[in-house]
Amino acid sequence: MHSTRYLHILLAAVLLAAPIAHAGEGSAAVKADELKAEPFRDAKTVGKLTAGDKVEILKKDGGWFQVKSARGNGWVRMLSIRRGVSRKASTGSEIAGLAGLASGRAGTGRVVATTGIRGLNEEELKAAKYNETELKLAESSLTSRAEAKKFAAKGKLTARKLDYLPDPAEGEQP
Amino acid sequence: MNRMIVIRGLTGLGLLLCLGAAHGFNLGQELRNAAEALQKPGKSAELGGYSEEEETAIGRQIAGSLLGAAPLVKDPQLQKYINNVGRWVASQSERPDLAWHFGVIESKDINAFAAPGGYIFVTRGLYQLLDNEAELAGVLAHEIGHVIRKHHLKILQQSKLVDLGGKLLAKQVGGDEKIHNLIGSGAEIVSRSLDKNAEFEADRIAVVLAARAGYDAFGLPEVLQEIGHSATGNSGSVALLFKTHPHPDERLSKLGDAVGSRFDGLKGLTLDNRFYRLKP
Ligand SMILES: [Zn+2]
Repeated sequence: MHSTRYLHILLAAVLLAAPIAHAGEGSAAVKADELKAEPFRDAKTVGKLTAGDKVEILKKDGGWFQVKSARGNGWVRMLSIRRGVSRKASTGSEIAGLAGLASGRAGTGRVVATTGIRGLNEEELKAAKYNETELKLAESSLTSRAEAKKFAAKGKLTARKLDYLPDPAEGEQP
Repeated sequence: MNRMIVIRGLTGLGLLLCLGAAHGFNLGQELRNAAEALQKPGKSAELGGYSEEEETAIGRQIAGSLLGAAPLVKDPQLQKYINNVGRWVASQSERPDLAWHFGVIESKDINAFAAPGGYIFVTRGLYQLLDNEAELAGVLAHEIGHVIRKHHLKILQQSKLVDLGGKLLAKQVGGDEKIHNLIGSGAEIVSRSLDKNAEFEADRIAVVLAARAGYDAFGLPEVLQEIGHSATGNSGSVALLFKTHPHPDERLSKLGDAVGSRFDGLKGLTLDNRFYRLKP
Protein backbone atom coordinates (compact mmCIF):
# COMPACT_ATOMS: atom_id res chain seq x y z
CA MET A 1 0.00 0.00 0.00
CA HIS A 2 2.73 2.37 1.00
CA SER A 3 4.90 1.21 -1.84
CA THR A 4 2.15 1.96 -4.34
CA ARG A 5 1.84 5.48 -3.04
CA TYR A 6 5.58 5.98 -3.29
CA LEU A 7 5.55 4.72 -6.82
CA HIS A 8 2.79 7.16 -7.71
CA ILE A 9 4.66 10.07 -6.23
CA LEU A 10 7.80 9.02 -8.06
CA LEU A 11 5.99 8.55 -11.33
CA ALA A 12 4.40 11.95 -10.91
CA ALA A 13 7.85 13.43 -10.30
CA VAL A 14 9.19 11.73 -13.39
CA LEU A 15 6.28 12.89 -15.51
CA LEU A 16 6.63 16.42 -14.24
CA ALA A 17 10.34 16.41 -14.89
CA ALA A 18 10.07 15.03 -18.39
CA PRO A 19 8.54 18.05 -20.17
CA ILE A 20 11.10 20.33 -18.53
CA ALA A 21 13.90 18.22 -19.89
CA HIS A 22 12.46 18.44 -23.37
CA ALA A 23 11.46 22.07 -23.44
CA GLY A 24 14.58 23.22 -21.68
CA GLU A 25 17.13 21.53 -23.93
CA GLY A 26 19.08 24.77 -23.75
CA SER A 27 22.23 23.31 -25.28
CA ALA A 28 24.34 25.75 -27.22
CA ALA A 29 27.52 26.17 -29.21
CA VAL A 30 30.33 27.66 -27.14
CA LYS A 31 32.49 28.42 -30.13
CA ALA A 32 32.22 28.69 -33.88
CA ASP A 33 32.40 25.32 -35.62
CA GLU A 34 31.22 23.60 -38.77
CA LEU A 35 28.19 21.37 -39.07
CA LYS A 36 29.08 18.20 -40.94
CA ALA A 37 26.87 15.76 -42.80
CA GLU A 38 28.66 12.85 -41.08
CA PRO A 39 30.73 12.57 -37.88
CA PHE A 40 34.03 12.89 -39.77
CA ARG A 41 36.37 15.77 -40.53
CA ASP A 42 36.25 15.15 -44.28
CA ALA A 43 32.47 14.95 -44.39
CA LYS A 44 30.55 17.60 -46.31
CA THR A 45 30.06 20.86 -44.43
CA VAL A 46 26.34 21.56 -44.22
CA GLY A 47 26.35 24.67 -42.07
CA LYS A 48 28.18 26.81 -39.58
CA LEU A 49 27.49 27.42 -35.91
CA THR A 50 28.60 30.49 -34.03
CA ALA A 51 29.07 30.80 -30.29
CA GLY A 52 25.73 31.08 -28.54
CA ASP A 53 23.68 29.29 -31.21
CA LYS A 54 21.03 27.08 -29.60
CA VAL A 55 21.12 23.43 -30.60
CA GLU A 56 19.22 20.29 -29.78
CA ILE A 57 21.43 17.24 -29.26
CA LEU A 58 20.03 14.14 -30.96
CA LYS A 59 22.85 11.64 -30.76
CA LYS A 60 26.48 11.17 -29.77
CA ASP A 61 29.18 9.35 -31.70
CA GLY A 62 32.64 9.48 -30.20
CA GLY A 63 33.64 13.13 -30.15
CA TRP A 64 30.67 14.24 -32.22
CA PHE A 65 27.14 15.37 -31.41
CA GLN A 66 24.36 15.16 -33.99
CA VAL A 67 22.38 18.37 -33.54
CA LYS A 68 19.34 20.23 -34.80
CA SER A 69 19.71 23.98 -35.04
CA ALA A 70 18.33 27.04 -36.79
CA ARG A 71 21.47 26.99 -38.92
CA GLY A 72 20.89 23.45 -40.05
CA ASN A 73 21.14 19.89 -38.85
CA GLY A 74 24.34 17.93 -38.76
CA TRP A 75 27.31 16.69 -36.74
CA VAL A 76 29.49 18.99 -34.67
CA ARG A 77 32.47 18.37 -32.37
CA MET A 78 31.16 17.75 -28.85
CA LEU A 79 33.73 20.07 -27.28
CA SER A 80 32.18 22.95 -29.25
CA ILE A 81 28.83 22.34 -27.49
CA ARG A 82 27.60 22.60 -23.90
CA ARG A 83 24.63 20.57 -22.82
CA GLY A 84 21.85 22.70 -21.36
CA VAL A 85 20.61 20.11 -18.90
CA SER A 86 21.97 17.10 -17.14
CA ARG A 87 21.75 14.03 -19.39
CA LYS A 88 20.18 12.17 -16.47
CA ALA A 89 17.15 14.42 -16.76
CA SER A 90 16.69 13.77 -20.45
CA THR A 91 17.31 10.03 -20.65
CA GLY A 92 15.54 6.97 -19.34
CA SER A 93 18.26 6.09 -16.85
CA GLU A 94 16.81 8.32 -14.17
CA ILE A 95 13.41 6.70 -14.50
CA ALA A 96 14.96 3.26 -14.18
CA GLY A 97 16.93 4.46 -11.19
CA LEU A 98 13.88 5.86 -9.47
CA ALA A 99 11.87 2.73 -10.16
CA GLY A 100 14.65 0.62 -8.69
CA LEU A 101 14.73 2.84 -5.64
CA ALA A 102 10.98 2.58 -5.29
CA SER A 103 10.97 -1.20 -5.19
CA GLY A 104 13.87 -1.13 -2.76
CA ARG A 105 11.94 1.16 -0.49
CA ALA A 106 8.88 -1.03 -0.62
CA GLY A 107 10.81 -3.87 0.90
CA THR A 108 12.77 -2.14 3.63
CA GLY A 109 10.72 0.91 4.38
CA ARG A 110 13.89 2.99 4.34
CA VAL A 111 13.48 6.34 2.74
CA VAL A 112 17.04 7.49 2.24
CA ALA A 113 19.47 4.84 1.17
CA THR A 114 22.55 6.99 1.63
CA THR A 115 22.04 8.07 5.25
CA GLY A 116 25.31 8.23 7.08
CA ILE A 117 27.44 8.92 4.04
CA ARG A 118 29.04 12.25 4.62
CA GLY A 119 30.58 14.84 2.45
CA LEU A 120 34.29 15.40 2.50
CA ASN A 121 35.48 18.89 3.23
CA GLU A 122 38.81 20.48 3.99
CA GLU A 123 38.28 20.43 7.74
CA GLU A 124 37.60 16.72 7.69
CA LEU A 125 40.69 16.09 5.61
CA LYS A 126 42.82 18.12 7.99
CA ALA A 127 41.49 16.23 10.96
CA ALA A 128 41.72 12.83 9.27
CA LYS A 129 43.39 10.02 11.21
CA TYR A 130 45.66 7.67 9.30
CA ASN A 131 43.95 4.29 8.87
CA GLU A 132 46.37 1.49 8.09
CA THR A 133 43.63 -1.17 7.99
CA GLU A 134 41.71 0.61 5.26
CA LEU A 135 44.91 1.29 3.36
CA LYS A 136 45.86 -2.40 3.45
CA LEU A 137 42.37 -3.25 2.28
CA ALA A 138 42.72 -0.81 -0.60
CA GLU A 139 46.08 -2.30 -1.51
CA SER A 140 44.65 -5.82 -1.47
CA SER A 141 42.64 -5.07 -4.63
CA LEU A 142 45.76 -4.40 -6.68
CA THR A 143 45.56 -5.40 -10.31
CA SER A 144 48.84 -6.38 -11.94
CA ARG A 145 49.82 -5.10 -15.35
CA ALA A 146 49.30 -8.57 -16.82
CA GLU A 147 45.89 -8.89 -15.19
CA ALA A 148 44.89 -5.50 -16.58
CA LYS A 149 45.89 -6.63 -20.05
CA LYS A 150 43.59 -9.64 -19.79
CA PHE A 151 40.79 -7.44 -18.50
CA ALA A 152 41.25 -5.13 -21.49
CA ALA A 153 41.25 -8.02 -23.94
CA LYS A 154 37.98 -9.29 -22.46
CA GLY A 155 36.42 -5.94 -23.28
CA LYS A 156 38.01 -5.94 -26.76
CA LEU A 157 40.06 -2.88 -25.85
CA THR A 158 43.23 -2.55 -27.86
CA ALA A 159 46.10 -0.24 -26.96
CA ARG A 160 47.12 2.28 -29.61
CA LYS A 161 49.80 4.89 -30.03
CA LEU A 162 48.84 8.53 -29.65
CA ASP A 163 50.96 11.57 -28.82
CA TYR A 164 50.20 13.79 -25.85
CA LEU A 165 48.40 17.00 -26.74
CA PRO A 166 50.55 20.12 -26.82
CA ASP A 167 49.57 22.99 -24.52
CA PRO A 168 47.83 25.53 -26.78
CA ALA A 169 48.92 28.31 -24.41
CA GLU A 170 52.58 27.41 -24.85
CA GLY A 171 54.58 30.11 -26.58
CA GLU A 172 52.05 32.79 -25.73
CA GLN A 173 53.59 33.35 -22.33
CA PRO A 174 56.28 36.03 -22.06
CA MET B 1 60.18 31.71 -15.94
CA ASN B 2 61.34 33.66 -12.89
CA ARG B 3 57.81 34.58 -12.11
CA MET B 4 56.91 30.94 -12.14
CA ILE B 5 59.53 30.08 -9.55
CA VAL B 6 58.35 32.88 -7.29
CA ILE B 7 54.76 31.73 -7.53
CA ARG B 8 55.69 28.14 -6.82
CA GLY B 9 57.81 29.27 -3.91
CA LEU B 10 54.85 31.10 -2.45
CA THR B 11 52.63 28.09 -2.90
CA GLY B 12 55.11 26.04 -0.97
CA LEU B 13 55.26 28.60 1.78
CA GLY B 14 51.49 28.57 1.97
CA LEU B 15 51.60 24.87 2.60
CA LEU B 16 54.20 25.23 5.32
CA LEU B 17 52.24 27.90 7.10
CA CYS B 18 49.05 26.04 6.70
CA LEU B 19 50.35 22.77 8.07
CA GLY B 20 52.12 24.51 10.91
CA ALA B 21 49.11 26.52 11.92
CA ALA B 22 46.60 23.74 11.55
CA HIS B 23 48.36 21.37 13.83
CA GLY B 24 50.37 23.55 16.08
CA PHE B 25 53.28 21.16 16.30
CA ASN B 26 56.65 22.65 16.74
CA LEU B 27 58.53 22.52 13.51
CA GLY B 28 60.93 25.22 14.71
CA GLN B 29 64.38 23.90 13.93
CA GLU B 30 63.21 21.64 11.12
CA LEU B 31 61.62 24.59 9.38
CA ARG B 32 64.79 26.64 9.72
CA ASN B 33 66.78 23.76 8.29
CA ALA B 34 64.29 23.38 5.47
CA ALA B 35 64.40 27.10 4.77
CA GLU B 36 68.20 26.94 4.65
CA ALA B 37 68.11 23.98 2.33
CA LEU B 38 65.78 25.94 0.11
CA GLN B 39 68.34 28.69 -0.25
CA LYS B 40 71.10 26.37 -1.38
CA PRO B 41 71.86 26.62 -5.08
CA GLY B 42 71.00 23.64 -7.20
CA LYS B 43 68.22 22.52 -4.90
CA SER B 44 65.52 23.22 -7.45
CA ALA B 45 67.26 20.91 -9.90
CA GLU B 46 66.38 18.06 -7.58
CA LEU B 47 62.67 18.50 -8.08
CA GLY B 48 61.15 15.20 -9.01
CA GLY B 49 64.30 13.53 -7.80
CA TYR B 50 62.78 11.37 -5.11
CA SER B 51 63.12 7.63 -5.37
CA GLU B 52 60.04 5.62 -6.17
CA GLU B 53 60.27 4.11 -2.69
CA GLU B 54 60.19 7.54 -1.04
CA GLU B 55 57.37 8.66 -3.29
CA THR B 56 55.35 5.56 -2.40
CA ALA B 57 55.98 6.07 1.32
CA ILE B 58 54.66 9.62 1.07
CA GLY B 59 51.69 8.44 -1.00
CA ARG B 60 50.82 5.77 1.57
CA GLN B 61 50.70 8.31 4.37
CA ILE B 62 48.41 10.57 2.38
CA ALA B 63 46.21 7.73 1.15
CA GLY B 64 45.94 6.26 4.65
CA SER B 65 44.82 9.62 6.02
CA LEU B 66 42.32 10.12 3.23
CA LEU B 67 40.87 6.69 4.00
CA GLY B 68 40.72 7.73 7.64
CA ALA B 69 38.36 10.50 6.60
CA ALA B 70 36.39 8.43 4.10
CA PRO B 71 36.67 4.61 4.15
CA LEU B 72 36.37 2.35 1.14
CA VAL B 73 32.95 1.38 -0.17
CA LYS B 74 32.66 -2.18 1.11
CA ASP B 75 32.10 -3.82 -2.24
CA PRO B 76 35.09 -5.99 -3.24
CA GLN B 77 33.78 -6.46 -6.79
CA LEU B 78 33.58 -2.71 -7.29
CA GLN B 79 37.07 -2.19 -5.86
CA LYS B 80 38.53 -4.88 -8.11
CA TYR B 81 36.74 -3.41 -11.10
CA ILE B 82 38.11 0.09 -10.58
CA ASN B 83 41.61 -1.38 -10.15
CA ASN B 84 41.24 -3.28 -13.42
CA VAL B 85 40.18 -0.19 -15.36
CA GLY B 86 42.69 2.08 -13.63
CA ARG B 87 45.66 -0.23 -14.08
CA TRP B 88 44.89 -0.69 -17.77
CA VAL B 89 44.79 3.08 -18.30
CA ALA B 90 47.92 3.62 -16.19
CA SER B 91 49.67 0.97 -18.29
CA GLN B 92 49.45 3.42 -21.21
CA SER B 93 51.45 6.03 -19.28
CA GLU B 94 55.21 6.41 -18.91
CA ARG B 95 54.97 4.81 -15.45
CA PRO B 96 53.27 1.50 -16.24
CA ASP B 97 55.08 -0.42 -13.54
CA LEU B 98 54.25 1.74 -10.55
CA ALA B 99 52.13 -0.21 -8.04
CA TRP B 100 48.95 1.65 -8.96
CA HIS B 101 46.07 1.52 -6.48
CA PHE B 102 42.52 2.68 -7.08
CA GLY B 103 39.47 2.80 -4.86
CA VAL B 104 35.95 4.13 -4.39
CA ILE B 105 35.46 5.88 -1.04
CA GLU B 106 32.35 6.59 1.01
CA SER B 107 31.44 10.20 0.38
CA LYS B 108 28.45 11.76 -1.30
CA ASP B 109 30.68 14.56 -2.49
CA ILE B 110 31.64 14.61 -6.15
CA ASN B 111 35.41 14.38 -6.19
CA ALA B 112 38.51 12.34 -6.99
CA PHE B 113 41.93 12.36 -5.40
CA ALA B 114 45.47 11.44 -6.35
CA ALA B 115 48.43 10.93 -4.06
CA PRO B 116 52.07 10.38 -5.05
CA GLY B 117 53.09 6.82 -5.79
CA GLY B 118 49.87 6.04 -7.65
CA TYR B 119 47.14 6.09 -4.99
CA ILE B 120 43.89 7.23 -6.62
CA PHE B 121 40.42 7.47 -5.10
CA VAL B 122 37.02 8.39 -6.49
CA THR B 123 34.08 9.26 -4.23
CA ARG B 124 30.85 7.31 -4.37
CA GLY B 125 29.17 10.59 -5.36
CA LEU B 126 31.32 10.95 -8.46
CA TYR B 127 31.16 7.25 -9.31
CA GLN B 128 27.36 7.42 -9.35
CA LEU B 129 27.47 10.19 -11.93
CA LEU B 130 29.26 7.91 -14.36
CA ASP B 131 27.49 6.15 -17.17
CA ASN B 132 30.08 3.87 -18.72
CA GLU B 133 33.60 2.49 -18.43
CA ALA B 134 35.11 5.11 -20.74
CA GLU B 135 33.95 7.84 -18.36
CA LEU B 136 35.51 6.05 -15.40
CA ALA B 137 38.70 5.64 -17.45
CA GLY B 138 38.70 9.38 -18.21
CA VAL B 139 38.27 10.37 -14.57
CA LEU B 140 41.03 8.00 -13.43
CA ALA B 141 43.27 9.15 -16.29
CA HIS B 142 43.07 12.75 -15.05
CA GLU B 143 44.31 11.61 -11.64
CA ILE B 144 46.96 9.39 -13.27
CA GLY B 145 48.09 12.56 -15.06
CA HIS B 146 48.67 14.27 -11.70
CA VAL B 147 50.73 11.30 -10.50
CA ILE B 148 52.94 10.91 -13.59
CA ARG B 149 53.65 14.65 -13.69
CA LYS B 150 54.20 14.60 -9.90
CA HIS B 151 52.00 17.63 -9.37
CA HIS B 152 51.32 17.09 -5.66
CA LEU B 153 54.82 15.81 -4.99
CA LYS B 154 56.25 19.02 -6.41
CA ILE B 155 54.20 21.12 -3.99
CA LEU B 156 55.47 19.00 -1.12
CA GLN B 157 59.01 19.11 -2.38
CA GLN B 158 58.99 22.84 -2.76
CA SER B 159 57.79 23.19 0.78
CA LYS B 160 60.62 20.87 1.85
CA LEU B 161 58.22 19.25 4.21
CA VAL B 162 58.89 16.00 2.46
CA ASP B 163 62.55 16.07 3.43
CA LEU B 164 61.34 16.44 6.92
CA GLY B 165 58.63 13.85 6.45
CA GLY B 166 61.06 11.35 5.01
CA LYS B 167 63.42 11.79 7.93
CA LEU B 168 60.69 11.47 10.47
CA LEU B 169 59.08 8.54 8.72
CA ALA B 170 62.34 6.67 8.60
CA LYS B 171 62.46 6.68 12.39
CA GLN B 172 58.82 5.98 12.79
CA VAL B 173 56.99 2.85 13.70
CA GLY B 174 54.03 4.68 15.14
CA GLY B 175 52.94 6.60 18.16
CA ASP B 176 55.33 9.52 17.93
CA GLU B 177 53.49 12.77 18.41
CA LYS B 178 55.25 14.63 15.60
CA ILE B 179 54.68 11.80 13.18
CA HIS B 180 51.09 11.66 14.18
CA ASN B 181 50.70 15.31 13.40
CA LEU B 182 52.48 14.95 10.11
CA ILE B 183 50.36 11.98 9.13
CA GLY B 184 47.24 13.76 10.28
CA SER B 185 48.03 16.56 7.90
CA GLY B 186 48.75 14.14 5.09
CA ALA B 187 45.29 14.10 3.61
CA GLU B 188 45.22 17.86 3.53
CA ILE B 189 47.48 17.92 0.50
CA VAL B 190 44.72 16.41 -1.65
CA SER B 191 42.45 19.31 -0.72
CA ARG B 192 44.99 21.85 -1.95
CA SER B 193 44.62 23.63 -5.23
CA LEU B 194 47.24 22.94 -7.82
CA ASP B 195 48.27 25.46 -10.39
CA LYS B 196 45.40 25.84 -12.90
CA ASN B 197 47.80 24.80 -15.65
CA ALA B 198 48.48 21.54 -13.83
CA GLU B 199 44.74 20.82 -14.00
CA PHE B 200 44.52 21.62 -17.70
CA GLU B 201 47.59 19.45 -18.28
CA ALA B 202 45.98 16.55 -16.40
CA ASP B 203 42.86 16.94 -18.59
CA ARG B 204 44.95 16.84 -21.77
CA ILE B 205 46.79 13.75 -20.51
CA ALA B 206 43.48 12.13 -19.53
CA VAL B 207 41.89 12.16 -22.97
CA VAL B 208 45.08 10.80 -24.53
CA LEU B 209 45.57 7.99 -21.98
CA ALA B 210 41.92 6.95 -22.31
CA ALA B 211 42.25 6.90 -26.10
CA ARG B 212 45.53 4.96 -25.93
CA ALA B 213 43.73 2.39 -23.77
CA GLY B 214 41.16 1.92 -26.55
CA TYR B 215 38.37 3.88 -24.90
CA ASP B 216 36.26 6.69 -26.30
CA ALA B 217 38.50 9.67 -25.56
CA PHE B 218 35.53 11.84 -24.68
CA GLY B 219 34.56 10.15 -21.41
CA LEU B 220 36.14 12.84 -19.25
CA PRO B 221 34.52 15.73 -21.17
CA GLU B 222 31.14 14.02 -20.72
CA VAL B 223 31.72 13.78 -16.98
CA LEU B 224 32.86 17.41 -16.82
CA GLN B 225 29.63 18.49 -18.48
CA GLU B 226 27.69 16.45 -15.96
CA ILE B 227 29.63 17.89 -13.02
CA GLY B 228 28.86 21.37 -14.34
CA HIS B 229 25.17 20.54 -14.09
CA SER B 230 25.54 18.99 -10.65
CA ALA B 231 26.71 22.33 -9.32
CA THR B 232 23.10 23.39 -9.04
CA GLY B 233 21.63 19.94 -8.56
CA ASN B 234 21.21 17.90 -5.43
CA SER B 235 23.36 14.95 -6.35
CA GLY B 236 26.19 15.82 -4.01
CA SER B 237 28.51 18.57 -3.00
CA VAL B 238 31.03 19.93 -5.45
CA ALA B 239 32.32 22.58 -3.04
CA LEU B 240 35.78 21.11 -2.53
CA LEU B 241 36.14 20.07 -6.17
CA PHE B 242 35.25 23.58 -7.32
CA LYS B 243 37.65 25.07 -4.81
CA THR B 244 40.57 22.94 -6.00
CA HIS B 245 39.82 22.85 -9.74
CA PRO B 246 38.88 25.43 -12.37
CA HIS B 247 35.17 25.38 -13.29
CA PRO B 248 34.23 22.49 -15.62
CA ASP B 249 33.24 24.97 -18.33
CA GLU B 250 36.70 26.49 -18.28
CA ARG B 251 38.31 23.05 -18.34
CA LEU B 252 36.12 22.00 -21.26
CA SER B 253 36.96 25.13 -23.15
CA LYS B 254 40.72 24.66 -22.64
CA LEU B 255 40.41 21.02 -23.61
CA GLY B 256 38.46 22.01 -26.71
CA ASP B 257 41.28 24.35 -27.72
CA ALA B 258 43.88 21.62 -27.18
CA VAL B 259 41.96 18.88 -28.99
CA GLY B 260 40.72 20.98 -31.90
CA SER B 261 40.32 18.64 -34.84
CA ARG B 262 43.05 16.24 -33.69
CA PHE B 263 40.65 13.52 -32.50
CA ASP B 264 38.17 13.84 -35.37
CA GLY B 265 38.72 10.35 -36.67
CA LEU B 266 39.32 8.73 -33.30
CA LYS B 267 36.78 6.12 -32.24
CA GLY B 268 36.84 4.11 -29.08
CA LEU B 269 34.75 1.90 -26.84
CA THR B 270 32.51 3.11 -24.02
CA LEU B 271 31.68 -0.39 -22.69
CA ASP B 272 28.34 0.63 -21.21
CA ASN B 273 27.39 -2.98 -20.59
CA ARG B 274 30.49 -3.89 -18.65
CA PHE B 275 30.33 -0.80 -16.44
CA TYR B 276 29.91 -1.85 -12.79
CA ARG B 277 26.88 0.01 -11.52
CA LEU B 278 26.43 0.86 -7.86
CA LYS B 279 22.99 0.29 -6.44
CA PRO B 280 21.29 3.62 -5.83
ZN1 LIG C 1 42.92 17.53 -10.89
